[in-house]
Amino acid sequence: MANGARKKRDEIWLDKLLAGDHEAFAEFVDKYKEMVFLCCRTLGLKEYEVEDVASETFMAAYTGIRRYRGQAELSTWLWGIAYRQGVNYLRKSGRENQLLIEQDKQLAERRNTQVSAELENKEQADIVWQAVGRLPRLWAMATILFYREEKELKGIAKIMRVRQNTVKTYLFRGRKRLKELLADVVGEDIDVSK
Amino acid sequence: MSVSKEENFDIMLSQALRERSEPVPVDFTDRISRQIKEAEEQRILARVVMEERLALAGCIVLGIMAIVSLVVFPGVAVSFKELVETSVRKITQAVEIVHYEWQLYTAFAGIFGFAVYSLVDLLATDSWR
Repeated sequence: MANGARKKRDEIWLDKLLAGDHEAFAEFVDKYKEMVFLCCRTLGLKEYEVEDVASETFMAAYTGIRRYRGQAELSTWLWGIAYRQGVNYLRKSGRENQLLIEQDKQLAERRNTQVSAELENKEQADIVWQAVGRLPRLWAMATILFYREEKELKGIAKIMRVRQNTVKTYLFRGRKRLKELLADVVGEDIDVSK
Repeated sequence: MSVSKEENFDIMLSQALRERSEPVPVDFTDRISRQIKEAEEQRILARVVMEERLALAGCIVLGIMAIVSLVVFPGVAVSFKELVETSVRKITQAVEIVHYEWQLYTAFAGIFGFAVYSLVDLLATDSWR
């Protein structure tokens, strides 16, 4: 019953959003702003550029929302806009090639297996994020979309405008590199039982 | 239930990546709302300016066309003059007829005007807004 009411409320909200209602759009911004900032940062935009690109993303979403027909999830649709805005920004500033280059950020100091077993979730997450930060941007993007956002290959391919096989390659390479990087930092036996 | 090393890694990766929340400026939503309102105002203003320009351009083009047609087709000017004279004559006759029963016609005109206004307001004004 609660699910039904929630679904009904979401439908009403979506109708308002599609009709260009300002309040509904403010709610939309609130709901998805973290996601858009994450996309911009994952693409390797500098902190002062992130906000500009995020604003442009939402402005583009506002203009384009009337054409949204629900073929993809709203979040997938917005990821696609944010991704394109970010890549266009990098292209304009001549930094598109950074998307496939491994970043040279330093990971946390090496820890032995015993210490890793005692790591707090937060600390472990920080190390994983640092490792993801070292991946080439396109691999990192695919990894985040798959493991964090739980998007399917089809959705990721749509967002990144590449073939599903390319997404599979990004994911495979990203995961492999992450295993290497994290094995250096937290050891081979990564514990998820905590 | 035992999980393989590979699955273990995937689970750890998912958990760790979901652990973090992205920092966003506190007033970001307000700023976007403001930007949208400004963009809307700009859009309305641009539309009004465009309509005015179109109207002005239309008047200029019509004027030029009228002058050109008078010069190029003198026959049009003659028939236009005749048309105006006929219309003026008919209007004068109508005014003379109305002159005798002006109260009745005024009442009819008032009712007709009000009906047209109501109809237009009911059907069309919303779409103009």
